[in-house]
Amino acid sequence: MSHTFARLMVLPALLFLTLLRPAAGEPNATPAAGQQLTPLLAQIEQTKVIQAEFVQTKTLQALKHPLRTSGRLVVVRGQGVLWQIDRPYRATYLIATDSVLEIGADGSRRIRKAREVPALAQTGQVFQAIFQGDTRALEAYFEVRIQSGASRWQVDLTPKPMLTRFLKAISARGGRFLDAIDIEEGGGDTTHIEFRNTLLDAPIADADREFFSH
Amino acid sequence: MRLRALSWLLFALLLATTTALKFWPTPPIETDLLALLPATERNPAAEQAAASLGRLSGERAVFLIGLPQAVDARNAATILADRLRDGRVFKNCVAKIPSPDPAALLDFYVPYRAGLLASDPHHLPVTRDDFADRLAARLSGPFGGAALPLAEDPFALFDDWLAALPFRQFRLDFEDGWLGVHDADVSWVLVSAELAGSAFDPALQRELQTALTKAEQELQHRWPTVQILRGGAVFHAAAARESAEGEMNVIGIGSLLGIVVLLLLAYRSLTPLALGLLSVGIGLCAAVLTSLAVFGRLHLMTLVFGASLIGEAIDYAIQFFSVRLGAGPDWNSGQGLKLILPGLAVALATSVVGYSVLGLTPFPAVRQIAVFAISGLVAAWLSVVLLLPWWLSRPTKQTPGALLALPAQWLDFWRARINGRTFLLLAGSLLVVAAPGWFRLTADDDVRALIQPTPALIAQEARLRALTGMEAGSQFFLIEGDDAEQVLQHEEALVQRLTAAGITTQGVSRFVPSCLRQRENQALLEASLSAQQAALDDAGFRAEALRTWQGAVGRHQACLTPADWLATPMSIPFHHLWLGATANGQASVLLPAGYRSVDILAATAADLPGVSLVDKPGSVSRLFGEFRRTGGLLLTAATVLVFAVLAWRYGLRGGGAVLLPTLLAQTIALGILGYVGSALNLFHVLALILVLGVGVNYAIFLVEGLRGGPRRQSAALLGVVLSAATTLLSFGLLGLSATPALSGFGTTLAIGISIAVTLSPGALIMATKLPGMDFTKAPCTPSR
Repeated sequence: MSHTFARLMVLPALLFLTLLRPAAGEPNATPAAGQQLTPLLAQIEQTKVIQAEFVQTKTLQALKHPLRTSGRLVVVRGQGVLWQIDRPYRATYLIATDSVLEIGADGSRRIRKAREVPALAQTGQVFQAIFQGDTRALEAYFEVRIQSGASRWQVDLTPKPMLTRFLKAISARGGRFLDAIDIEEGGGDTTHIEFRNTLLDAPIADADREFFSH
Repeated sequence: MRLRALSWLLFALLLATTTALKFWPTPPIETDLLALLPATERNPAAEQAAASLGRLSGERAVFLIGLPQAVDARNAATILADRLRDGRVFKNCVAKIPSPDPAALLDFYVPYRAGLLASDPHHLPVTRDDFADRLAARLSGPFGGAALPLAEDPFALFDDWLAALPFRQFRLDFEDGWLGVHDADVSWVLVSAELAGSAFDPALQRELQTALTKAEQELQHRWPTVQILRGGAVFHAAAARESAEGEMNVIGIGSLLGIVVLLLLAYRSLTPLALGLLSVGIGLCAAVLTSLAVFGRLHLMTLVFGASLIGEAIDYAIQFFSVRLGAGPDWNSGQGLKLILPGLAVALATSVVGYSVLGLTPFPAVRQIAVFAISGLVAAWLSVVLLLPWWLSRPTKQTPGALLALPAQWLDFWRARINGRTFLLLAGSLLVVAAPGWFRLTADDDVRALIQPTPALIAQEARLRALTGMEAGSQFFLIEGDDAEQVLQHEEALVQRLTAAGITTQGVSRFVPSCLRQRENQALLEASLSAQQAALDDAGFRAEALRTWQGAVGRHQACLTPADWLATPMSIPFHHLWLGATANGQASVLLPAGYRSVDILAATAADLPGVSLVDKPGSVSRLFGEFRRTGGLLLTAATVLVFAVLAWRYGLRGGGAVLLPTLLAQTIALGILGYVGSALNLFHVLALILVLGVGVNYAIFLVEGLRGGPRRQSAALLGVVLSAATTLLSFGLLGLSATPALSGFGTTLAIGISIAVTLSPGALIMATKLPGMDFTKAPCTPSR
């Protein structure tokens, strides 16, 4: 395999990574800033199950009005991330390492295996990394900067040059857990996601458990 | 006599010098295993494609470095790449990869995006609801966002197109400039390299080996648990070369040692030994030069076989020494030669017939062996006939030695106990015993008989493939058309079928749809523009953004063509997929992956126009099978020819008598192969043909030798035993070869010839009633 070849096969993966922007703020920074980890961030890293509600507001150049979706997310370490939109319509995504399960408003299910859509493997890994304190994948694409005080912290992600066309900046802030993520895209679109009612290591509802064991 | 001898000697000197010059500084030896395979495809474009794909895989090598910590694995990979880059082996060796540039990919495709759709036209969104769903998914899903701003690609159609490009069929992840993969507790990092020369260049292979061993030792010193997996044709080629060279040495040295010991024991003088080796040496030089003249290069496999030819080439010299020994003090070299010349001629003729029949098969490997053997034997024969009478003009003082006791007793036993009827009875019962073996014979025509990769390398590559997902299929589709556009259309039809069958593909049409498809796609989008507009309006699209999108859909321009794509740097790794102009028009290659059997591929593509499945290993195997089955015809042809030669010398009945032991040997050998459970392939059949040409020599030598007085008879018997021993030793050593084809060849020859030799007194018995052939009288045991 030639060097150019190696470069090329990761391109779509990168493009897919840029699709992660709505969620790409994350409450941790392991290898690079490992020593500076605050107790708060370290605690998130230790957590097995995280549940939270989210409200996502997108302000897009092409749209007259900002776009709001809300729902909740469940992160189970090692198993995947459940991203459930409740409003304005119902849709559920279960992002695991090797597959993505989409459940539509009508209950229709669609599983996409990472093998069928190889870029999904990358997506699933990065998506989980975001919520599980594994920044290895992220540091490939971002400069990670952490500021933290006694009860608050903020992580700023500056994309490496190859991504600047698509992404200007991501910042995430929080206390016990992630409170909010702000994403500024290359074209001027912005996304703001707020997390509320975070539960750490609380029992998972049976219905949710079913998604994970599908 | 002197003039002839001296001119031949001069000629031989010339041969030796030329051979030496040919081998210096680099021997013209071919180690490319693919060169052994016959042209199997009727379509020259298919052969061309197969060759270029083979060349491509030959130029590349990959390494996976595994350590528990990713940081260590990366450091180790850097060191390996640095060390390998230092030498002259690789022109390029990369561990760390510069940041990729997704922008270049976007810029290339964006202008044509209205015609670029990932799914086939039947699955495109059509209604307002379809488009609304896609828009909603783009806006709110966790993967919202896209490569292009919302106004440029509101329905994420272009994103889907990019995601469906077959760049990534590998499991490797891009991690901070490294390509890596993780399994349970090991982090693997990829190092990829491009060879600076041919994978089959022995000098390059040796340098690679040295550099790699050094680098590996360094890594193991720093990280004792480091694992290094390697993949690439160069490693197979190096392993094959090493093993072949080793075999060549074992067979060559073994045969020579055997000859030295046997000749010294038998003739107790250095002169016959030196002259015998001289005749063999001249034979080998002639064989090498003739093969080079015919084929350009000498394949290593030919040399391995060639080493085993030593044992056969010495036979003519041994016959000459025997007749000299038999003549005692009455020796006259001219008369001696006259005495053995007919026998030598018949023996050479039968061998030449046997090898010629081999040369009729279309397999380059076998043909080269045939040419090598025939030219070598002829030159050795000529050396004996032209050189030895002049050199050995004085009588020998030796008498046939004690070596002769056992074979002489054997011959006496035959004479005393076995007559024509008992021999036929014996033959019949041997056949009865052998017959069940024939029915146990199985066949295996796998191409791996010729190409046998080292198990250790195979295991490493299997691991590498499992980790990286790189597939090394040897089957592919050839797609042809009158022009590039037609090729793409044919390819699209095939891709559609294969995708439906769950088979992934890599082909140019996946990067550049046919112009027809691009136009269709754009027309479909334009047709549903009002539905799109309605969906966008509902979502609150600004008028300006809407115009941007309408402009993109409605922009008509030239189609994206393979030529455009081939001109971009990103297509470089895929250039092998586009063959371009061929004798039939234009052609491309489509690589399938993830199929369970070749039959599925064949069935899927069966009736598509311009599409043909190229399955080189399959074709070669089929060809092997075909010739194994028609081996009977070849054998019959060889038998008729050999019989004709024998009948010319011994008459019809005499010829039959001389041939009988060899025919028996063939059938019994076949039975033995069945009993020991050998799976029969072409090479066993070829060996059986050779048993005929070579095995019959011993009956000839025996019949010829026993026409003289007792002393001559003893010497002749000694000659037969020596000849048989050297030949059996050589072919027996060939039987140890790691290449199944050679090993099967050698073993079958050794078994067949041993039986032929053992039964050869039967020829005497059967021929004994014929005029001038009464061999029953004089006992053969040497008189002291």
